[in-house]
Amino acid sequence: MTMEFDAVVIGAGAIGTSVAYHLAERGLKTALLEKGDIASGSSSHCDAVGLICDKQPGIDTKMGQYSIDYYEELAKKFGFDFEFERKGCLYVCETEPEFAAAEEYMKKQNADGYPLRMVENKELCEMEPHISKDIYGALYTPPSGCIAVSPYKVCFAFVEEGKKYGLESYTYCDITKINLDPKTNSVESLETNYGTIKTKRIINCAGAWAPEIGKMVGLNIPIEPRKGTNLVSEKCERLCNNKILEYGYMMSKFDGINFKRNVSPLVEEQNIAFNLEYTQANNLLVGGNRLFRGFDTRTEIETMKAICERALRFYPELADINCIRTYSGVRPFVVDHLPIVSDVDSIPGFYICAGHEGDGICFSPFTGKQMAHIVMGEDTDFDISKLDFARFGK
Amino acid sequence: MAEYFSDDMIVCRCEEVTVAEIKEAIRQGAKDVVGVKRRVRAGMGLCQGRTCEKMVQQIIAQELGAKPWEVGTSSARPPIRPIAFGDIAKGIVE
Repeated sequence: MTMEFDAVVIGAGAIGTSVAYHLAERGLKTALLEKGDIASGSSSHCDAVGLICDKQPGIDTKMGQYSIDYYEELAKKFGFDFEFERKGCLYVCETEPEFAAAEEYMKKQNADGYPLRMVENKELCEMEPHISKDIYGALYTPPSGCIAVSPYKVCFAFVEEGKKYGLESYTYCDITKINLDPKTNSVESLETNYGTIKTKRIINCAGAWAPEIGKMVGLNIPIEPRKGTNLVSEKCERLCNNKILEYGYMMSKFDGINFKRNVSPLVEEQNIAFNLEYTQANNLLVGGNRLFRGFDTRTEIETMKAICERALRFYPELADINCIRTYSGVRPFVVDHLPIVSDVDSIPGFYICAGHEGDGICFSPFTGKQMAHIVMGEDTDFDISKLDFARFGK
Repeated sequence: MAEYFSDDMIVCRCEEVTVAEIKEAIRQGAKDVVGVKRRVRAGMGLCQGRTCEKMVQQIIAQELGAKPWEVGTSSARPPIRPIAFGDIAKGIVE
């Protein structure tokens, strides 16, 4: 059997479903191909927030803000509920040097018009009554710059809403070959277990698996799987009122700053960055870390131990709350920490939209809309040439 | 056995998920236990599917005309029973 589509999107995570929805909305006959189920990869093994305050000042933050506001618009428009909620975010600073560095970051963001502000210990303890009393302060982002969603429901929502525009999804789809025109090298068709699919446009949204699809057309896509782990609590009191992250981790990662947190060797070695949030089902999500482990997504006991150790430093009352579940997944890591949202010069009709690492959920609506502009041959809403695939050839 | 389940019967006690909701998840494209779990939370509660997983398997098998062992199980993940975050930090995880 041969099917024919205007566009074929590969990968049904937060990026692929958004791209597929936006292409279908623009009137293209679109197919979404997924090797497993919808949202079965990174988008169901992550946390659930979109923030501007974990982004670098500039384009990174601008994309975040765009996406956050666009999420709100979609939440109103969609019949499918994806648990959209605006909430505040606190980047907690354990010590004075962290507070000072956070303040520098705040000033840069303020200069661009983002209303972040510093809160000192007293106010922090009022905002977060369960936090350790000796935390120095925090960087506060109001709900204008922070949202929560259910990441996998975002994917289901894009698919269900996309169906209204004729989107067709094919799950458990094995792609065995991508055929290019021998003369022009442009996209011609795909061979799958659903048969041959003819199309002139393929958008590779396979995240950490995007390099496998790239290989089928002779491209080397520099994305690596980076593992992250979260712990889930039993249903309990919402220990926190805002999304909580630790600032010291971000600082220890900044280039050119020689900063070391006062943490145990286990926490250091496991690369733990404490974060905490509540969900609409009243579970707490406690995280997290980043490790290179290939595609091995088994939960590691040492990681669990290290996350708990770090979490108790900030929220001692967690000690008596039960953990019922853990999960680990891979994030699509790119060395310059920017996604690839781009066409490919050497293969007309082939597009890459992947490599969002930990920002895929946040950037999903923004990315889908911009990718649709690119595929339609239009200007993007603002200059995103930094996300071009050609940057790796230089 | 699934043919004897009425639509309003609660299958997942922890998350209060009914037979009708599980059937709706299957209609939306769930083909296995994890797919149902992700769409309607069956198996996401305190017992992590220990009570309902077999019933969820039977319902999926019946709806899709498959065998119960063909529709998968939820992924095996620690902890094997609820354990306090404090105990995990102390290394009491066995």
